[in-house]
Amino acid sequence: MFLTVVRHEWRQMSAGKILWPVAVLFALLVGYGVWNGLHWVHFQQQTLEAVAQEETGRIAKMRAGVVEAWATGAITDPSEPDPRSAGFLGTRAARNATLPPGSLAALAIGQSDLYPYYFRVTMANKVSFTNNDELENPTNQMAGHFDLAFVVVYLYPLFILALSYNLLSAERDEGTLAMLMSQPLALGTLVLAKIAARGAVVVALAAGFSLLAVLLSDAGLSEAQVWLRLALWITLLVAYGGFWFALAIAVGALGKSSATNALALVGLWLVMALVIPALVNVAVTAADPMPSRLELIAAARQATLEADKESKARLGQYHKDHPELVPKGSGYNVADSYVKYVLSLDTEEKRLAPILDRFDEQLARQQASVAQLRFLSPALLAAEALNDLAGTGVERFRHFGRQVDGHHRAWRGYFLPRLFAKANLSAAELDRAPRYTFFEEDTAAVAARTFPVLAGLVLPTLLLGAFGLVGLRRFPLIA
Amino acid sequence: MITRIARKEFTEMVRDGRFRVAAALVMALLVAALAAGWKHHVDSTAQRLTAERITRAQWLNQGARNPHSAAHYGVWAFRPQSPLASIDPGIEKYVGTAVWLEAHRQNEFRYKPASDATAAARFGELTAAVVLQLLLPLVIVLLSFGAFAAERDNGTLRQLLSLGVSRSDLALGKALGVASALAVLLVPATALGIAALALSAGTSGWGDGPLRLWLMGLGYLLYFGAFVGLSIAVSARARSAQLALVVLVGFWIVNGLVAPRAVADLARGAFPGPSSFAFTQAVREDITRGADGHNSSDKRLDDLKAAVLKKYGVKRVEDLPVNFDALSLQAGEDYGNTVYDKHYTRLWDTYRNQNAVHQWGAAVAPLLAVRSLSMGLAGSDFEQHRHFATAAENHRRLINRIANEEMLKTEYNNWNDEVPAETWAKFPEFRYGPPGVDWVLGQYLPSIGLMLAWCVLATAAAYWATGRLRPS
Repeated sequence: MFLTVVRHEWRQMSAGKILWPVAVLFALLVGYGVWNGLHWVHFQQQTLEAVAQEETGRIAKMRAGVVEAWATGAITDPSEPDPRSAGFLGTRAARNATLPPGSLAALAIGQSDLYPYYFRVTMANKVSFTNNDELENPTNQMAGHFDLAFVVVYLYPLFILALSYNLLSAERDEGTLAMLMSQPLALGTLVLAKIAARGAVVVALAAGFSLLAVLLSDAGLSEAQVWLRLALWITLLVAYGGFWFALAIAVGALGKSSATNALALVGLWLVMALVIPALVNVAVTAADPMPSRLELIAAARQATLEADKESKARLGQYHKDHPELVPKGSGYNVADSYVKYVLSLDTEEKRLAPILDRFDEQLARQQASVAQLRFLSPALLAAEALNDLAGTGVERFRHFGRQVDGHHRAWRGYFLPRLFAKANLSAAELDRAPRYTFFEEDTAAVAARTFPVLAGLVLPTLLLGAFGLVGLRRFPLIA
Repeated sequence: MITRIARKEFTEMVRDGRFRVAAALVMALLVAALAAGWKHHVDSTAQRLTAERITRAQWLNQGARNPHSAAHYGVWAFRPQSPLASIDPGIEKYVGTAVWLEAHRQNEFRYKPASDATAAARFGELTAAVVLQLLLPLVIVLLSFGAFAAERDNGTLRQLLSLGVSRSDLALGKALGVASALAVLLVPATALGIAALALSAGTSGWGDGPLRLWLMGLGYLLYFGAFVGLSIAVSARARSAQLALVVLVGFWIVNGLVAPRAVADLARGAFPGPSSFAFTQAVREDITRGADGHNSSDKRLDDLKAAVLKKYGVKRVEDLPVNFDALSLQAGEDYGNTVYDKHYTRLWDTYRNQNAVHQWGAAVAPLLAVRSLSMGLAGSDFEQHRHFATAAENHRRLINRIANEEMLKTEYNNWNDEVPAETWAKFPEFRYGPPGVDWVLGQYLPSIGLMLAWCVLATAAAYWATGRLRPS
């Protein structure tokens, strides 16, 4: 019986005037979203290629300088940097730590337009190289991206509601419902079959375009992790869609008119997709407000002044101990200035650490609150999980940040002892300097983060569905 | 007659439970958003004033120092927030709050608030502007989709028309009914906003704040007017209330959700901007090799040296009566300034072109017009950010010029030579005056035109549709 109804619904929908325009519109929007996502991934890839190219050229030039300096002998003018010195190479021959776009990056732009995706990691402190935001028109950033995730989170529920707000009320208005019910058919079966027919169309469109986007973005389809992520993405699409279908059943079961159903559903969508996330945001920022960046600037200025005075004193002491090293004529000595630079930045950072840590702590607290409160809004829940799967959420950036830190430690570990020894490096030593390689996040960890989200979507779906099916018993068959 | 119709509509709406729920929700959100925006404005202004005071004191008390070293230490410019940004914060979360003005380099603004927030903050932001631009039109739709369509569904429309009431009176009455219901919602919130603004009027440099607020209110009234007219027109033409609702909600979705993002990506595609990497590389290239590729920094230095030696009639730079380093530094600044001007003008013009796409997008979605206008009047748009960035950059150039003048007094090739501690008071503090209303309005002529057009066309459509009312 179920299949009979599904077949009938399908025939009726495909003959009707609603389905095809809606499906075509949805396909166009999804396609535009995917195209924008691909465009952004391409932009990032091109930038990273240019960054890598510059790095290769620069380091080759530095290496040639090292070889030449060893061949021709020492630099005599202390105001000229020695191309072999640890100070020179540790900053100028620095390599980039990069975050390539993930395999599903074209599906959700997420936070990837906000956080830097490459850093030139030098031997100086971290603050000195992390100020590396991508240039972007702030008006565009404010508007947000039209990517697949946006279509899925906001528009996909609306398409679902548009197809299902009048499942029974339309049949009742036309008087066909009473006739239908004279057949050996349960009302619940009818509703579920109608939902199944509509769900198949909407989900097939969304899932199909996701697959197409991944195919178009040369994501390395031979890798199992890509398929696992894609499978989770599609599961999430189904679960999220299921929630909105269940909501339509529950509201429809109250037996009101089509217009009232539409109003109620749009209202609920508005509350869940816009109002609750906004309130969550207000609550989270009010509970754990961020410290002031301007205060940080003022403190950093003070630290710079003090570190400067200290290093001047330190350099003075040093020159007193080594009068033979005090440069003649020129007051400027490059070898000293590198030491001074690194030391004063480190002193500064140590002094600012408590303030800088407070930013990280507060953000972590806010994120922990969001992780709890997001279960109040299926839209927020789905949005965060979709970004996470696409590798454009906060987690992958943190994962990248840890690797940047690791590389930074290794680079400093290699260069700082040589810097303080005022040592010159051979070409072979330069070649042995630490390299950076990006390791992709463990897919199992991503999956483990996705399962609670799925549960958070499926549970309310089941509750709403049950409520709807029980409510249908009292459904008025005649208007 | 018109007032009687309006009163009937109004009474009916106020008695409707749906309206009460929606109105209470929107009102609560609007008040909460205004309060949150206001608190943020007060806090951030206090923080800025403190930071300005502290960093100025640090600058003055840096002690005897080499002027060029002080120029490298530089100063910071902090972007002031206009009081109206508490209504519409515009792009504020996506531009840095402060910029470092140092020697040689025009820096990007740092510390975007969005980078210091969770992803959820980007997902849903509660501001008065969002409530006014996005939620209130939905309330209008809710109030007026049934204006004629519901009467037609109920069969009362035939009866109503048989009374011989003029159709234009009918349209106007229905529209006034909706408007008075809206007024119940908006008047208290507006009063609150004006009171808050009045409190701040004396404390900041935004002298034309009240005028900006009135114009902003006018912009929103046109926007709401367009929605009322459109809703009445659709309601008069639609076969059923259900269809009227679906059409209007569909338009609301395109207007509020689809169009803003679709236009942003369209603008990006039409006027692509450079990556930060490409931009920095291009600037560096121009500075080292010369803007035309034939005037390298080494050659420029040699030319300068030759010219200065000739001017003073000496053979060696050591014999010059002034510090040649200072001259060379200033020449470097002057050259760098032309390079930065070239690249930043190109970059910011690209963004201006992109924003023009946003403005013209209002041909499809009136939200885009009212949003541009509202941000502009609130002083939280890109153009006023650019205005501030330009002022800050001019200040950077001034600071460097003074530093290099001081540098003239120091010994050649002795970068440790210091000038006395009193010197730093010669450097003026950075003061910023925002542009006037006329300047702002000049940036938004397309938005103003399109907003007016929407309002006029929607009103005409409402008249046209009620003139052709079908009783059933």
